[in-house]
Amino acid sequence: MPDKKKVIIVPCSGVGKPFGTISREAAYQVTEEDRPERTQIVPLSLLVLGDEEARAALAEADVITIDGCALVCASKMVAESGAQVSASFNSMDVYRANRQYKPQGISSLNEAGQKLVGLLAEQIDAAVDKLTAEEEQDA
Amino acid sequence: MPELKQKKVGIVSCSGEELPEGTVSRLAALKVLEELRPDETVTICLPLFLAGGEGDRAFAKFYPTIAIDGCNQRCAYRATEMYSNTPAAGIVITDLIKDEKLERPTGCRHLDGIGNYLVEAAAAKAAEQVDELLGKRWSRQQGRFDKADSVNTQETAESAVPQTMDVSVQATCSCGSGIPTQKLSVGGKDLSFVALPLIFQNFAEDQRSPSAQTLDALMDTVRLYNSIDPELEAETRAAIEAAYQAYWADRN
Repeated sequence: MPDKKKVIIVPCSGVGKPFGTISREAAYQVTEEDRPERTQIVPLSLLVLGDEEARAALAEADVITIDGCALVCASKMVAESGAQVSASFNSMDVYRANRQYKPQGISSLNEAGQKLVGLLAEQIDAAVDKLTAEEEQDA
Repeated sequence: MPELKQKKVGIVSCSGEELPEGTVSRLAALKVLEELRPDETVTICLPLFLAGGEGDRAFAKFYPTIAIDGCNQRCAYRATEMYSNTPAAGIVITDLIKDEKLERPTGCRHLDGIGNYLVEAAAAKAAEQVDELLGKRWSRQQGRFDKADSVNTQETAESAVPQTMDVSVQATCSCGSGIPTQKLSVGGKDLSFVALPLIFQNFAEDQRSPSAQTLDALMDTVRLYNSIDPELEAETRAAIEAAYQAYWADRN
């Protein structure tokens, strides 16, 4: 699908808590493994600096944010950049719904954390599929 | 008794999720925070300078900060400088690659051998910088090292070799907590005072009731963390006196 716009994934850039790692790992799973041809990561740091190219990429695409805490930096920064958030996720919500998996580790997640990554990635995959289908209908 | 935060070094990492060098910078930051210098370092997420509150934006003024960036866009350094304060030091992974004549690393999610080597190298360099920065006296009032202080002009001792710990330690994250600040109306302007809530708490728990002597001590402590405009000295003193009296009355 070379002509189709990719869905932009903006994950939390948290470095101090496991939930940030879960958000980022889920973004990698979607963009590198599950839906590599239909998705692309845009880093939050470029949006923080107001990078024009990053802002332009967001303006023309469907954007999915993946936050890692209640401060929802990714969603806030995307909105601040003037883009519409098509779907938003928070790794803490996935944990709340699956409390049997207690994530630990930041640089390297434990098995429970990896489970949450998989569950979150599944939800994002479904959102990507829905957005892609809607775009195909509109075309 | 609550303590004002002891001197630490802030580590701000590039988020650069789309580049392997971004992963290198993040993992290097975590290695310093979790293993090499867990008691001496604290971190904050880059977007919080914008998405967070005033306390988050005071981060790099409160702590001398090292920015670890993945590429020469230097988002961590520039954003810290733009929204908080100029970092005390910086590391750029692409510079390390150039200096050591290495190939670019591959794998954003799972780094290759070069990437893992760079994580170790960048973390060791950052740990050295932490030691160097802790050997100097940081002025929270000025948000920089005071050049008039003789300690800051001495050559630093040889860098300590980073010690890797066997046990995993959680990185100290400042997200959401920030540095407590309080706004006061001074001379018709709303001014923010870094650490004022903690200073009040400390004084009240020491049973230091509002008095001229207490106010002198309060002002000395407030000056450690804030720059007070000499022209507004009297108004600032009056505003802090009123705020502390109100705080004291609430507690007692």
